[in-house]
Formats: sequence, C-alpha cells, structure tokens
Amino acid sequence: MKVHKPNLPKTIGVWTRPDSPRIINSRNIFEYMNGAGELYLAYRFNHLEVYEYKADDAKSILVELYYMETSDDAFGLLSLDWGGEHVSFSDSPANTSNQSLTSSARALYGAGLLRIWSNNLYCRVMAFRETPASKQAVLSLGKTIAANRKSPPGPELLKILPLDIGMGWKLRNDRIGYFRSHLVLNSLYYLSHQNILNLDLSTEAIAAPYDSIDGKDRKRVQFLFVRYEDSGQAQQALDNFHKAYLPEHEKDFALGSVTKSQSFFKIEDGWLGYKVYGPCIALVFECPDENSARMIIEQIQFNLLKTGG
Amino acid sequence: MPNKRRLITRRDFIRGTMGATLGTSMFGVRWAVGSEKAAPSSLVAVVRDKDVMNADLDVDFKVLQKMLDQSIVQLTGRKNSKEAWSTIITPEDTVGLVSTGHLNPTHDELVYAVKIALMDIGIPKKRIKMAQGSSRKVKRCTALISLPALKAHWLTGIGTVLKNYIMYSGSPSAYHDQNSAKLGEIWNLPHVKGKTKLILVDALYPLCDKGPQADPRYKWPYSGLIAGTDPVAVETVCLRIIEEKRRALRGEPWPLSPPPICVEAADRVYGLGTSRMEEIRIAHFGWKQDLLL
Repeated sequence: MKVHKPNLPKTIGVWTRPDSPRIINSRNIFEYMNGAGELYLAYRFNHLEVYEYKADDAKSILVELYYMETSDDAFGLLSLDWGGEHVSFSDSPANTSNQSLTSSARALYGAGLLRIWSNNLYCRVMAFRETPASKQAVLSLGKTIAANRKSPPGPELLKILPLDIGMGWKLRNDRIGYFRSHLVLNSLYYLSHQNILNLDLSTEAIAAPYDSIDGKDRKRVQFLFVRYEDSGQAQQALDNFHKAYLPEHEKDFALGSVTKSQSFFKIEDGWLGYKVYGPCIALVFECPDENSARMIIEQIQFNLLKTGG
Repeated sequence: MPNKRRLITRRDFIRGTMGATLGTSMFGVRWAVGSEKAAPSSLVAVVRDKDVMNADLDVDFKVLQKMLDQSIVQLTGRKNSKEAWSTIITPEDTVGLVSTGHLNPTHDELVYAVKIALMDIGIPKKRIKMAQGSSRKVKRCTALISLPALKAHWLTGIGTVLKNYIMYSGSPSAYHDQNSAKLGEIWNLPHVKGKTKLILVDALYPLCDKGPQADPRYKWPYSGLIAGTDPVAVETVCLRIIEEKRRALRGEPWPLSPPPICVEAADRVYGLGTSRMEEIRIAHFGWKQDLLL
C-alpha cells in the first residue's frame, strides 16, 4: 500500500526544521520518551518521525508523526482525549460514518498543541510557547500533514454503541476511548493493574460512559466492549476476569459456565453485568440497579444484531 | 492450601483495602522491611512566588533563589539558608543532584540555584555531580538531592518523587504496570538507601494529566517549590496538588487513573515515610492563590 507522506515545509514563519527527521522505532522509543513510549506500543505502532522547528527569537515547534499500522490505531490515540478546539483541514465534508459517536473530530487544538488523526497517522504538533504566530504555524503545519490523505471512518466497533439506552442513559461521546491494551484501559477506566481481560494487540476494545439523564442524581455507568480473535479467547478472558474481579462468586463458577448466560452482580460500587457474544464480551459497571445493567447489556445485543456483529 | 496471589483491582480502592493487598498478597512479607516504622509528623515546605516566571514562562533567577532559601529555612527552622543547608549537607559530602532531564524537565535554573547554595557552604564544584541516570553515578555520591518536576504520569498516576530514581534500579521496565507499586524499593537499594538528604520538587509549571509527554492544556504556573526530607510525604503533597487541580479543571472529581499505588506502597510496604495527610505538616510561605492544599 502506498502511503502518502506529509511534505513538511523547510520553514514556516520564523521557524526552520532540519533536513531530515529523527526516526524513532519500537526499539529506541524509550530513549526518546521514557515511559510515555508504552502508550504508542499499546497500539500497533510502526515508527515515529520527529522534526523540531527552531527560531532565534521564539520557542520551538515540535512535530511528531506517529505512523501506525492502521487508521483505527491512530484513531485510538486521538480518542484518549476529545478535549480542545475542533479543527477542520478539509474543504469538503469528511466521511461522517460513526462520527456522531465521537465528536466528529479529526484534529483538536488546545494551548499550543494540535493533535491529528489522519488515516494511519497520528500527529502531535506542539508549540512550546503559544502565541498568535505559533498557533498560525501549528495549524498551517497541520493542514500540510492532513493534505491529500484519506479520511477513513472510525473503527467498526463503535457502531455497537447506542447513543441512548432506554429513556435514562445517554452516551458521553466525548469520553469514548478505543484501545487494545489494559494499560490504556486503566488510563480511561481503572479496572486492575493486571491484565485481567487478556487484552493485547490482537484485540480491540472500547470504553464508553453513559450518563443518567433523568435529572435528579447525576449518575454515570461505564461500559466496556472487547472483541477477541475468536470465541475461545473471549471465554478464556471472561473466566480470567471473573476469577480476578469477582472472587467471592467462585463457588458458582465453573470453567465455561459464565459464558452461557448474562450475569449480574452487586458489588461495592453498584451493579456489574457482563455477557459474551461469540468473540466479544460486553461489560457494564457501576449501574444503580440490576435493571439498568440488564437494559444496557440487552441494548448492546440488539445493536450487535442490527450491525451484523 | 497455599495462599493465592491477590490481584489489585478497582474493588480494593473502593473498599479501602489496597494497602493490605499490597502488603500481604502482592509482595509477601519479604518486601515489608521497614513497614514497622514510627509515624512522626513529616514536614513539607511549600513556597510560592507568582513572579518567579513571566508571561513567557522565563524564570526570574533571583526570585527563584529567594524561594529556594525560604524553602530550606522553612524546612529546617534555621535562621538563614546557609545555616539551613549546613544541617542537610556536610562539607565532606559528594553531592548528587538528581533532576529530571527529559519530558517536563526540572528547570535548569533550579539545578543551578542549588549548586550555588551548595558551593556557598563550601562544597567544591567538583564534588557536586549530576547523578541522574545510572547506578554508577549514584554510587560515587554520599548525599543525594532529588530534584524532580511535578507531573502526573499515565502509567503510574504520578511520576514525580518516587519515580525519579527509577534508573537506579538498572531495569526501569521492571517497574511498569502493577510493578509501579514497587518503585519504593529502589529507595532501599544498598547504593541508594539513606543517601537522600533533601527532596526539592520543581512545581513551577506542573503537568496534571497525560504525563510524562507534555500537553500544555494540563500545565499551569503553580510557581512553587515543594521541599521535604520524607519522600512519601512530599509525594503525597504533590499528589494532593495534582488532584485538586484536576478537580478544578473539570469542576468534578477527576481521579488519577490508574491510581498511584506506588505512594501508599512506599509508606506501608517500604517504610519510606508517610502517605497520610494527617501525619504531614505543611509549612506554606508566599503566594496563596490557588494553593490547592
């Protein structure tokens, strides 16, 4: 597959870049960014190209181009924070499939940092000091980066998320996260320091909170959905999760039995529910009552059938 | 029946049983060295000056030096900074300065101010070493001054005091994930233990989310220095500032995720100090607005 590489200008405003980028791969990423490197390796990372635009009388602008294996992986990196000012580089409307779920953003700007999802590329363009001139330069670089690149839709998995569930629950589409690693899951919704859902680069998952909209007490539930390579892996993962997270229910637990039906448990922070759908597991946490948990799980099942999942 | 290894989960935090899980199940008793410590009050000095940086975030060195003097005087209770430094560092010491060199680094001006203060009490320049990075460097030092910059960390919750010595382990990747709870054990390694005379956190321009990679939306001019001799107490105060800033930004609780289990473990498992706010005495000096404590 021929991938269009951004052709960054040698100079922009008062800033000038070196002739060639610093190339970072999975072997030397920790030298470049210490523990932050884990974030990119938690997705399907190919390599990173880094340019620093320098100026005599202004602080630098850093351009980081993260080449990911798929567009979904680049989307996942952007999905970790939907905050910031939406930026559009396209004169024509972007492909909007799935976008009602995820703020329709492909580029977000805030306080000097521009983050872009452009096909398999995730970019960070950051001015070390935000000024009107640096903002203009950052946005101009962003436009160059995104130019002539495809804009595929977000991950298919997002389609299983209903915008509303029943009369009471509304999707927080500014908090949807797409990931493949328990490290990223924990930064979105802490479950366990161990990998109790057996996540890895062969899996894909979404975390999505739903807010109660019935007005009185504001309540949030957390929904997780994971797709494994096959149903055997899903069952194994659920067994692992159950043993780690619900050890007091071990007596009722026999290998494989948890996948036969949906299960609901009252624990310290509310009702937890899960259900296996072939290679997928749906889990919901912090529900105020069993009915809410059941309703959410059933709605997901309905959406799965609707989307042919 | 052998004891099962307990996993740390969200439920431990909800139930408030994380400390017990860490102490007994995750590590076993062999790691609990020092956990029977007494619990004296730990003093942490927080000194702020809104003029320490200008609008371009350039540091005013003279203001910073004054803040450093105030920090050390507050901490030691001595009359002046020279006397104060002399209670911490002896003239025979070889002093290692352990700053954060990369991604939200410690301000060079702070490192330089500490060097000048040490030279003022008679430590020759050649016995002041930059000691970040390897065990070899720390082995040459008889005293360490830890100079981390205040930041949240996406893998460990907070990545400031305890994490600042990770390279001394010789195997930083061994302290990721759940093993981040073990960051405290690095402070008890033979070539590190007992050498830290001062923890001085650069809280001039901290980062309260997405660290260690900088995201300017989550950085703000706190314009402070945070000093102490109890690393866990200093980290706990740092944690409070980060958490309060996050709450202020979102207008609702925005807990660090994952939770910083290394802080409680440093207290309960490794006995490095206290993580209980009620056992920490904060001496504040200077600018009060948005103190977050």
